[in-house]
Amino acid sequence: MNGMNGMNGISTSSSHEESCHLIAVEAESRVFSGLRAAIAWQTLRSMLAEARLRLALVVLLSAVFWGLLYGLFFEAFSFLDSIHAEVISLLFNAFFSSLMVMLVFSTGILLYGNMYCSPETRLLLTLPVRAEAIFAHKFIDAMWFSSWGFILLGSPMLVAYGIVRGAPWTYYLLLLPFMVSFALIPASVGGILCMAVVAWLGRLRMHALAMLVAVAAAGAVWLGWSLLGSAVAGGVTTEWFDTVITRLSIAEQKFLPSWWLSSGLMEAARWRVQPEARFASLSEAVKFLAVLVSNGLLLYLLAWRLARSSYRLGFSQLVGEMPARRQRRIAWFDEALSAAGTARGRPMRLLLVKDLRLFRRDIAQWSQFAIFFGLLGLYFFNLRSFNYNLVYASMISFMNLAVAGLILSTFTTRFVYPMISLEGRRFWILGLLPVHRDQIVWSKFLFSFIGGLLPCCGLLCLSDSMLGISLGLVGVHEICGVVLCMGLSGIAVGLGAWMPDLREPSPAKIAAGFGGTLCLVLSSLFIVAVVTVAAVPTYLTMFSEVFGGKSPSPTGIFGWASGPLGTATSLLIVGVIGTIATFVPLQLGLRAFRRLEP
Amino acid sequence: MIEFDNVTRTYGPKPAVTDLSLRIPRGELFALLGPNGAGKTTTIKMLVGLLRPSRGAVRICGHDLVKETRAAHLHTGYVPDEPTLYDKLTGREFLWFIADMFGLPRSLAAEKIGREIDHFELADCADDLAESYSLGMRQRLVFAAALLHDPDVLVLDEPMVGLDPRTVRIVKDLLKARTRAGMTVFMSTHTLAMAEELADRVGIMVRGQLRFLGTVAELRDQVATESTSLENLYLEITTLQPVAASDTPVVRATGAI
Repeated sequence: MNGMNGMNGISTSSSHEESCHLIAVEAESRVFSGLRAAIAWQTLRSMLAEARLRLALVVLLSAVFWGLLYGLFFEAFSFLDSIHAEVISLLFNAFFSSLMVMLVFSTGILLYGNMYCSPETRLLLTLPVRAEAIFAHKFIDAMWFSSWGFILLGSPMLVAYGIVRGAPWTYYLLLLPFMVSFALIPASVGGILCMAVVAWLGRLRMHALAMLVAVAAAGAVWLGWSLLGSAVAGGVTTEWFDTVITRLSIAEQKFLPSWWLSSGLMEAARWRVQPEARFASLSEAVKFLAVLVSNGLLLYLLAWRLARSSYRLGFSQLVGEMPARRQRRIAWFDEALSAAGTARGRPMRLLLVKDLRLFRRDIAQWSQFAIFFGLLGLYFFNLRSFNYNLVYASMISFMNLAVAGLILSTFTTRFVYPMISLEGRRFWILGLLPVHRDQIVWSKFLFSFIGGLLPCCGLLCLSDSMLGISLGLVGVHEICGVVLCMGLSGIAVGLGAWMPDLREPSPAKIAAGFGGTLCLVLSSLFIVAVVTVAAVPTYLTMFSEVFGGKSPSPTGIFGWASGPLGTATSLLIVGVIGTIATFVPLQLGLRAFRRLEP
Repeated sequence: MIEFDNVTRTYGPKPAVTDLSLRIPRGELFALLGPNGAGKTTTIKMLVGLLRPSRGAVRICGHDLVKETRAAHLHTGYVPDEPTLYDKLTGREFLWFIADMFGLPRSLAAEKIGREIDHFELADCADDLAESYSLGMRQRLVFAAALLHDPDVLVLDEPMVGLDPRTVRIVKDLLKARTRAGMTVFMSTHTLAMAEELADRVGIMVRGQLRFLGTVAELRDQVATESTSLENLYLEITTLQPVAASDTPVVRATGAI
């Protein structure tokens, strides 16, 4: 037998001792680096060979998105720099401190999945490798996945700030080290929390996580309430602005890494000073960078040491847990949905019920859904604290429409887009069912569309009622809300079916991949298009009031556009955009899914 | 080589393995049998360090799996029931990764990788990405990886799942040759015919307790049944009604425990 030819090479125990040995920590690190490099190289090669168009599209759209953000931030910084330069520091601190909290949570959750639930760690833990080396390997993955958004959103903002401030080249050189060293701090804290919770809280970890989320949410509510709840009855005045500035200064704490980052960046960008002061500014910036790097490394070292003592223990405890017994509760809604309607539509309804059950039982999905829309609801609920004139009210109402759409798009990208990919491992079930493949795709679309409709349109109603805007504009917003839900669902489900990743079990990684990025970029562009077109008649009315004197009835193009005909035309265009955004990706997805060979 | 010293493992209040004491000497092929939920997987997980015993100790080549995990792993090769590979690595790259982790010198690693690729007839696909492998090819690659460093102890969890008859033959012959050369094999399986063919001793586990330990011949001697097939003997043992815990009818046929 050919396969047995090499039997002479069998070693004995003594030769085993001579041939293999425990490797040093540096060697372990090198092996893992080599592993990541090889995987990255093979992934890039596969993409270049099989998905060049997709890759080019993603790069192009990401560049467009980056450019749009850059333009937005450039205008904002130019405005602030001319009148309220001191506010920029405050905004940086507020932005980076909230980002820090989000990075703690996202890295912690990603590390939990990567370290305790992935098949790869089950392999690595049976090899003679240090537990802390496995942690380090998975930490790099988690840090990258949780921080790429920060790089994508943060880089145009910081580059725009540098341009507006006329920063020297050293500022741009220091940007990446600043961002990476800052991200290292919350990521390490997330890692420490994750391992500590798993090793020492065991079954109470979900309660601990819920408590942490509740504390974070309570903090956000308190901050929001203290900023907006005490708003002066006279609307947005200088006093109110001063109050907000004072309250926001809570984020300007010198012990917070966000302050080190903000201060370091602002020092690095300082160039319009005396030449002798420039070197001092640069030194200050480097000092802040050193503080960030040293603290980041210290926290990482603590996480590394914790991994040494607790990772295997935590893993063993988690593997040894009995799965919690779930009592079968008959959900009346599921039963009603299954039974309602005609027999022909029953397979679709059963697929919907299945997805609904999976959603309800996945705490990550519904908790994020509840937190995002809950916070948005809270913000909308506080809108009454201000008195607005009609122009401001309509402006804010359209901004709220965009915000509701953006939050919905993060949800559709994170949870709806991976739905088809996640069916990959269960495809043998769906493939054998007497349902057409199209029905599977349509059921995902309906699930997303109906699921998004209620919170989205409900929140828009709340926003409009708090702002006290006219019934006609409420109607426009509601129509836009429906179109947004439809289009965002179409993009997420269509792209998910068009470029499924049937091998990846982690929805976070599927969403963070190229398809997910494309989904997010397209969704954002779609929202911008819908909101812009829908807002045109309102803004033309505003312009006509500004430029048309005190004439109560504007004429010409303003008159036409701000009248019912203009509104109807804009809604028609919104409808066309929505139809294209819904059905083009869906058609692509349906066609690809019919041909899919899992 | 392998020692289970009064090992108990509970899942919450429920015992999965109770007071398991077992010694498997060098060069023995031991097959652990038992119905689903008997505690075989828990035993395997403790043996490869994924799970820690609630009480007692597990040792490989004298190294405690909790206190000296890496040293114990250095002597162990493990073939899980579900092969885990990196989809974006080729078979050869995966073997290099394993060789590096075991600290094999480069020249020796190259030689052993070539040897295992040859043993398991992976030459045609060794440079393809693992994502294109069938279940059988994946299982063969995992076997190759587990044997790469010539471990003193090989732990197999349902090793023949997904393998074609030719590869099954290759693996069987290889296990026989390796045990002759001094390797200890601990195998969990439902395939009774393979246990009968290969195992020096078998252990039959029921509800977390070792009901029988000995050779198949000793099992035949000790279980009063007219049939002599291992299948019937196994069914006889596993369907015995348990009596009080202290009187569990453990049949220890040989003195090696």
